[in-house]
Amino acid sequence: MKSFVRFSVIKAFVLKELTELVRTKLIIMVYMMPSMVTILFGYGIAMDVTHSRISIIDNDNSKYSSELISKFSHSKYFDVTLTHESEAEALEAIKKAQSDIVLIIPSSFEKNLLKGQKSELGVFIDAAFANRASTMQNYVQGVIQSAATTSAPMITLNTRTLFNQAMRDEDAIVPGLIGLVLLVAPAILTALLIVKEKEKGTIFNFYASPIGKLEFLIAKLLPVLMLHSLNIFILFIWATYLFDVPFRGSFFLYWLSSEIYILISLSIGMLISIIAKRQIVAVVLTVIITILPAFLYSGMLMPISSMQGISWVEAHIFPVMYYNHILYDTFLIGQGFDSPKIVLYLCILIGYVVALLGLGALFLKKEMR
Amino acid sequence: MADLHLMDAFHVSGVSVRYKDKTAISDVSFEATSGEIIGFIGADGAGKSSLMQAIAGVVRFSGEISYLGQSYHSPKEAEKIKIHTGFMPQGIGLVLYDTLTVDEHLRFFADLRDLKKDAEFLAYKKQLLHMSGLSEFVDRQAMNLSGGMMQKLSLICALLHRPKLLILDEPTTGVDPLSRLELWEILRNIAKEEGTIILVSTAYMQEASKMDRVLLFHNSKVIASGTSAELIDSIRPFVYEKSLLYKDENSLNFDETSYSLTPLQSALKEPTLEGLFFVNALKENKNIAEFVINKKENDEVIPEVVMECHGVSKQFGSFIANKEIDMKLKKGEILGLLGANGAGKTTFIKMLLGLYSIDEGELTLLGKPIKSGKDRQELKSKIGYVSQHFALYKDMSVKENLLYFASMHRIDKKAALSRIALYAKELGFEEYLGSFANELPLGVNQRFSIAAALLHEPLVLFLDEPTSGVDTLARAQFWQILGKLKEIWGISILITTHYMSEAQFCDRVVLLKNGQKVADDTVINLYKRFPQAQSFEDIFLEFYKEKG
Repeated sequence: MKSFVRFSVIKAFVLKELTELVRTKLIIMVYMMPSMVTILFGYGIAMDVTHSRISIIDNDNSKYSSELISKFSHSKYFDVTLTHESEAEALEAIKKAQSDIVLIIPSSFEKNLLKGQKSELGVFIDAAFANRASTMQNYVQGVIQSAATTSAPMITLNTRTLFNQAMRDEDAIVPGLIGLVLLVAPAILTALLIVKEKEKGTIFNFYASPIGKLEFLIAKLLPVLMLHSLNIFILFIWATYLFDVPFRGSFFLYWLSSEIYILISLSIGMLISIIAKRQIVAVVLTVIITILPAFLYSGMLMPISSMQGISWVEAHIFPVMYYNHILYDTFLIGQGFDSPKIVLYLCILIGYVVALLGLGALFLKKEMR
Repeated sequence: MADLHLMDAFHVSGVSVRYKDKTAISDVSFEATSGEIIGFIGADGAGKSSLMQAIAGVVRFSGEISYLGQSYHSPKEAEKIKIHTGFMPQGIGLVLYDTLTVDEHLRFFADLRDLKKDAEFLAYKKQLLHMSGLSEFVDRQAMNLSGGMMQKLSLICALLHRPKLLILDEPTTGVDPLSRLELWEILRNIAKEEGTIILVSTAYMQEASKMDRVLLFHNSKVIASGTSAELIDSIRPFVYEKSLLYKDENSLNFDETSYSLTPLQSALKEPTLEGLFFVNALKENKNIAEFVINKKENDEVIPEVVMECHGVSKQFGSFIANKEIDMKLKKGEILGLLGANGAGKTTFIKMLLGLYSIDEGELTLLGKPIKSGKDRQELKSKIGYVSQHFALYKDMSVKENLLYFASMHRIDKKAALSRIALYAKELGFEEYLGSFANELPLGVNQRFSIAAALLHEPLVLFLDEPTSGVDTLARAQFWQILGKLKEIWGISILITTHYMSEAQFCDRVVLLKNGQKVADDTVINLYKRFPQAQSFEDIFLEFYKEKG
């Protein structure tokens, strides 16, 4: 068995792949898909609610009530309309979807507060969309509590703070999207490049010639790695310029870990291509295997630290969590190589590459099945 | 002392290939020496491809193959000889990349083999391009090449590294006759000049004469081997002029010839290679039943002209599939539509059936001018169609499939069941009624597909390449059925085929070339027109050589 790797053979293959990718226009997908997913999801999954229309009926017209109203007015989360309608009319506006929230300040609001008595505010929220409603409810509570602590310090409120104040949605979601895209896209392309040859029959050029397995693998993985490396930068630009996500960490760490992560994705695609015989099967299988864990264990929907039992174990099995940890660090925190956890996670990612590539080289056979 | 002869030779001993529980080819042994062309002849599924794949080292096998004194027993062990081998698997343009040009292919294949691009290589490349007639097309992408050109390109790609053992799986199937001749010429040159051992498989019996030695494949076995002349000689005593007087399990009649293991009264006849399969069947004591076709249940009046069309054309983008075709199908006539792959046969049949719209021209079916889909609706019950890839529901038994087809034609269940039982008996697939569609041998599948097309007792049958890939025996039986249908039912049949030898079974043939009709005549008249022609293949070639 020959163990060396011939450069000319690999070059021929890579050149062929690139020519084909360009001529079949698949190259468009290579660059369109990651950017499209990032932009669509980045704008689409807005978890917070801004500019909810709140109608305030002030029956008190006191200093405290106007302070409360001004708190609402100064919040970017609310567009305030002061009305003198009746309660019924204001509620009717919610029904007609002309308003999202109605806040009713009772006439004895200031008096009660000064007397130290309990005072009740009436809040009605359009709960047609449950998530949106609970978010709005939290915001309303947050504003009232902050008003209560600043304006009437003698009043102590015994409630938990639910208000998620500084955390912007984009900051939480966009880095996670990079982790999703860079796992899915290279895997699909790799699987396609190999399975395409199986489906067409050109795989015989590999089976029946003296090309080594290693040469074939490098030849197939290298073009995908090269093409998707550019996406590391493209996605970075979308995140920092389009979505204004801060970047506080080391760019070198971001780049390095992304390249390693792409290698993991390639290896997954390659493993799938060993099983799949048709391109459509390869695509569906890749999407199922990569998208679900990338979403669930990205930390976008639910922090890993709050996971328990099986979901905690699963999150640690998939490579997504480790990469996303590094991503969030480079974007939002900036500890970089100083953090032993990040160095450990980087090593774990490298471990994935070695293990998956090893499995691929083991299972890839130069024969028909 | 090393045996020089042994070092030079190629041996296959006791090779079998199995896929799960199916034996693809069992226990083949043969050898070859440098410069020999060994032909594998047999039907689809007879085991030719599996043996070739084993030799090329791309599939697991049992037994031993040795070349240049190096023996191998698995694909892994075969790695060491792969620098000497060239393999071209079955399928037109299978190993080509659609979007790469001819020149890019040659460069890619040269790099795959890590060839030095010195003057010698460039000269050889130029020679190959010239030999294959591709010199002018170096910048054309593979997907824009004709089938023949694709095969020639695949061949020269496999030849670039000057392999000493060339394995070619059906390089000529479906290729136009002229390209086929050219391919054979290249092979002959390579064998002679390079001393290459060439293993080549084919579905065309006529190509046997071009091989130094032939292995005949049937049902996963090699049933005979030798030179073409030796093989023909071996059955000489069993082949007679047609004799209707004497019939038993030791004889059978087919197309003006009788095959018999016991001596017959009639005169001996010059045998053909096809005859080997008949004689083999007799020797294996296989029951080759004569088919009986009964009269139809409903007798309808069939018009004198069943189908007539004028100036029918079809274009796909810039590709002209059919150009101004005139054709007439008369009552009780078998009309053969012949042409190479891509000549426009299937497109034409699909237009007749309304599966493709007709771009231009007029069509009259069963006396009714066809202007819209509505005109076709009531004709559907009078037309039977078997497509190129006859689609059965794999998870339903043969009987269930047939019942389904019957219900599509609104035949009531009682009538359908009795017809299915009758056809199964007549066409000899009674024993398969309960089996699933994908378990059927190809030949049986063919008979069963025709039964499906006959269930509603059509007045005309359109058959698209029904015999493609089917073994000689099954093909003979199939033509027998068609003959009887014409005789007893009086129906007309339009059939396409790329086997030129089947022209003789047709009353009239139409030759298509590049979407155009180049001939429309009876077979006898065509032979009169080309008196020097040895076979119908030669006649077809004449038309292909003509310009335009």
